[in-house]
Amino acid sequence: MAEKRKYKKRYCKYCETKTDYIDFKNVSSFKFSLSERFKIMPRRLTGNCKRHQDMVTIAIKRARQTAMIPYIVDRQNVVTNPFEGL
Amino acid sequence: MTHYELLFVIKPTHTQEEIDAHIANVKASIEKDGGVIAATQNMGMRKLAYEVEKHNRGYYTAYYFTAKPATIIEVERLIRINESILKFMTVKYAKKKEIIAWETAVKRLNNPHSAKEEAVAPKVEVAPEATADSEA
Ligand SMILES: [Zn+2]
Repeated sequence: MAEKRKYKKRYCKYCETKTDYIDFKNVSSFKFSLSERFKIMPRRLTGNCKRHQDMVTIAIKRARQTAMIPYIVDRQNVVTNPFEGL
Repeated sequence: MTHYELLFVIKPTHTQEEIDAHIANVKASIEKDGGVIAATQNMGMRKLAYEVEKHNRGYYTAYYFTAKPATIIEVERLIRINESILKFMTVKYAKKKEIIAWETAVKRLNNPHSAKEEAVAPKVEVAPEATADSEA
C-alpha cells in the first residue's frame, strides 16, 4: 500500500525532462524504476509512458549485465545498503 | 562509420600500470582499423553488484567512438580472449536521437564544466571495505 501511494501522481518523469536516451551507466537516473529487490517497476506504478519504459528497461538490463546493479536480491544474497554508491 | 560506446570492466587484482596497459590495448584495437575515439569515461574502481569470477570490485572504463561495424567484431573477439576483462558491453547508437545523445555525452566528457545539468562526475570509489574483498 505504501508503495502504491508513493507513485500516486502518474506522469512520465522522462517526458517532463524530454529525455531521448537513458544512459545505462548513470544508475541513479533510473533508480525510481527499480523496486527494493531490484525488480523493474511496472508502468502502472511509476507512470512512465510506453516509450520511456522501454528505454528504462533496456538501460536496466544493460546495467545488470555490466554488474552495476544486481539481477536479484534475496536472502542468500543480501545487500546491506542496496543503493550505496549509485 | 557508426557511433558506438564500449564499456569494459578490468579485474581489480592488477596494478594501476597493468590496468592502464589493458585500457591502452583496447584503445589500440579500436583505432587499428580506422576507429576514432571521441571521448573516454574513466569510472574508476567500483563495487560490483554481484560476484564475477570471485571478484567483488572492478575497474570501469567507457569509450565513445565511431568505427566500422567490422571493427566491433574484432574488438569484441580480443576482449573475449582477454582474461583480465570481466565484463564488457558495446552499445550501438543508430537512431537520430540516440546519435544526438551520443554527441552530448561526448561533449560533456570532453569539457565537464560547460555542461550544467548533473555533469555525472566519474565516481572514483575507493571502496572503504577494500580490505574485506577477497582478492582471489
Ligand atoms: Zn515518457
